[in-house]
Amino acid sequence: MFRYQSLEDCPLDEDEDAFQGLGEEDEDIDQFNDDTFGAGAVDDDWQEAHERLAELEDKPVASREQDGPSSEDLDLLGDPEDTLAERLTRLVIDSELEDPAIMQAVQTRGPAQQPGGLNSSIWDSSAVLRRMRGPLLTQEMPSVSVLDYALPQRPPQPRDDERDPSERALPRRSSSPVIGSPPVRAVPIGTPPKQAAVPSFNQQILCPKPVHIRATLQQRYPAPYGERMSPNQLCNVPNSSLLGHPFPHSVSPVLTHLQRAQLLGGAQAGRMSPSQFARVSGLVGSPIPSVNPKLLQGRVGQMMPPASGFRAFFGAPPAPPPSQLQHPPGPGSHLQSLRPQPQMFRPDTTHLHPQHRRLLHQRQQQSRSQHRSLNGSVGDRGGHRSSHQEQMRKDPYANLMLQREKDWVSKIQMMQLQSTDPYLDDYYYQNYFQKLEKLSAAEEVHGDGPKKERTKLITPQVAKLEHTYKPVQFEGSLGKLTVSSVNNPRKMIDAVVTSRSEDDETKEKQVRDKRRQTLVTIEKTYSLLLDVEDYERRYLLSLEGERPALMGERKQKICDMYDNLRGKAPGQDRPSDDHFMQIMCIRKGKRLVARILPFLSPEQAADVLMATARNLPFLIKKDAQDEVLPCLLRPFSHVLYHLPLGTVTSLVQQLTNLPQSAPAPAPTNLHLTAVLQNKFGLSLLYLVLSRGEELQSSDTNTELMQDNQWTELMLMATRELLRIPQAALAKPVSTPSNLLSLFSRYVDQQKLNLLETKLHLVHGIR
Amino acid sequence: MNYMPGTASLIQDIDKKHLVLLRDGRTLIGYLRSIDQFANLVLHQTVERIHVGKKYGDIPRGIFVVRGENVVLLGEIDLEKESDTPLQQVSIEEILEEQRVEQQAKQESEKLKVQALKERGLCVPRADTLDEY
Repeated sequence: MFRYQSLEDCPLDEDEDAFQGLGEEDEDIDQFNDDTFGAGAVDDDWQEAHERLAELEDKPVASREQDGPSSEDLDLLGDPEDTLAERLTRLVIDSELEDPAIMQAVQTRGPAQQPGGLNSSIWDSSAVLRRMRGPLLTQEMPSVSVLDYALPQRPPQPRDDERDPSERALPRRSSSPVIGSPPVRAVPIGTPPKQAAVPSFNQQILCPKPVHIRATLQQRYPAPYGERMSPNQLCNVPNSSLLGHPFPHSVSPVLTHLQRAQLLGGAQAGRMSPSQFARVSGLVGSPIPSVNPKLLQGRVGQMMPPASGFRAFFGAPPAPPPSQLQHPPGPGSHLQSLRPQPQMFRPDTTHLHPQHRRLLHQRQQQSRSQHRSLNGSVGDRGGHRSSHQEQMRKDPYANLMLQREKDWVSKIQMMQLQSTDPYLDDYYYQNYFQKLEKLSAAEEVHGDGPKKERTKLITPQVAKLEHTYKPVQFEGSLGKLTVSSVNNPRKMIDAVVTSRSEDDETKEKQVRDKRRQTLVTIEKTYSLLLDVEDYERRYLLSLEGERPALMGERKQKICDMYDNLRGKAPGQDRPSDDHFMQIMCIRKGKRLVARILPFLSPEQAADVLMATARNLPFLIKKDAQDEVLPCLLRPFSHVLYHLPLGTVTSLVQQLTNLPQSAPAPAPTNLHLTAVLQNKFGLSLLYLVLSRGEELQSSDTNTELMQDNQWTELMLMATRELLRIPQAALAKPVSTPSNLLSLFSRYVDQQKLNLLETKLHLVHGIR
Repeated sequence: MNYMPGTASLIQDIDKKHLVLLRDGRTLIGYLRSIDQFANLVLHQTVERIHVGKKYGDIPRGIFVVRGENVVLLGEIDLEKESDTPLQQVSIEEILEEQRVEQQAKQESEKLKVQALKERGLCVPRADTLDEY
């Protein structure tokens, strides 16, 4: 800084040179600043710089040239008056920029002149590499200058101490360019910048350069797993916007530290307003003269799909002229500024998926091209368009909402579609479209080609990013800051969990706890079940190497489920059905069992079936209100198909509770009665019987083996069936057809007829 | 809609005449000028329309900024069919008077209802404080 720390230190009379220097520029010195000048006068340049600073303070609107000319700019440095004159002329032009009419006039001067006239010094020098400005920027007034003021990284300059722009910035406003604080704005948020369109190659610039301010962020464009594009949605959307514009050599794509910070600061604020976008874009702007500020506001180029069907969303050729193109001559007419894709370097869903981005770009290009062509040949338009134009002319308030702002809103909507796991977040939509596409694919097989092109909403899958939150810590300090936030919650209450001892609890509480335990078990098992059901989809998406691991996981989960169901008994057998019964008493438990059954092995499934049959009356009693048991019928029947006769025999035994070898049947078989009186029970019995019959008739070997058991059982069963009054019988879900043949083996004709009528075994009676 | 198939967006509705029904029961008609992601609306040349029976009256209101959460529904008005209505437009004073009369009648009948219920020993249903129209 200054060589002298205070006035006292300054050798007022000793330093002749300094005073001579002072004397030369006496006329430029503000008299009131004498002390400062006199005391601290070290270099000429310091004075100059201060002068400029003083001028700046006077100016109502900051101009962009005050960012501190580089050392290479001898013009600015050596000739203060000249620069002042230039600046004044520029100032005049700046204020005229507010007026759209004048803007047009200004632009017609030719874009090539603009950079020359407004920014010659910048563009002449190689400092442009550092600056990254374009003609667009020159029209963006205060914020840019502030930006440049606050640039922490500046190239080394011989007089860099004095030139330090942050110093100059301080009198105006102190701002920290670091993340967390909102970017300084001399123009309030939401002000639409008056720039022309920025070419969309910005995206390419910004894309590959991840910001590295906090923890490592990666650029991610993951393979869109969950994303389903109909075949007509082109992935090869014309990307010419990205590559078409030649990069001028003078523009380097590197973002300065501050610009990145601004981006992130904006991103952290949660949303970036359109004006901020434009500003950001301006930072990476290019002096491409093709940017035509004369582009008028118009409605977005609408690719209206025909009413009859859908059209390929992306694949549509540059759309037919939009029906509502406008030439508003009124106050609503602004320069169109096509905002480039805002790149928010934040993890996860704040990035716009490439396809969405492409979509926006496409739209921008469309509207741009339409506007251009519209400018060129107004008279050539069709009749419908002119009528619309007339209509729009009558509405002077049209297009108060700029295209840029509309894009901004739709961008927000698009970003809301991004998710880390579409199948989790948007299950029903994904499945629905899967089904639809299967249907159309099936249709396609028959037809010539795709009949309907379905435009699918793109719900891209974005990779999940792990980022751990590290609370702010100062280096060298001991301990942590006492800052508590959402990410870093602080323990407020020292709550200690005390578990009650068994003695204290009453029976009621025990019962309640047991039920709660069961509910918890059901929930846990349900989670496992959902995972297991999802494995099929994961197989398809996974790599070959991962599949065995997946299989193993799946098997393990199935085992866990089974253990949960049956209760982890220490011994080999599962002596108590208690656990299982508890689950089955709850409605959700029954449905859970029904869904798990397909995944279990035959032995496990048979086990479950047996347990059910054994305790069926109890279950029936408990199910009286819910009547959910029939949901188990279908999985049970599937299980039955795989069971051997022995198991089936035991099943019947369990169901009917008929002793294997009984001297005489008990007067009343409550078990069987209960079973028969219940829809589910009766249906299950029929199923089992039918299966037994199947086995018997199909395989003669086993018949011989199991004959005694089975026959005895059947005899007893039929006796019971005959005994039970018809009124007491429930109505089964379905009556298998082979029951008649079953009974015919064991009873005579008369009784068979009785059974027939009683059980409605013959078709047509019902 | 054409930006993203299968979604609803107000972007297509901008600069068109709309009828907006608010949660407090008001009906606004105006040109939709601007929106945002919360469906906050900016209505231009807004008119508040009060309907009583077959009559309606318009109160010009100017520019309205409506917070998105207060919108029940909104729809575009077909300018050609707008005048094709069996309703009769009356002056503001008249429609306000009609509205007052209608409100009074409603209150009376409500009172009677409540009394009848009370007489029979039934409890009175409490109206939701948010939706009072």
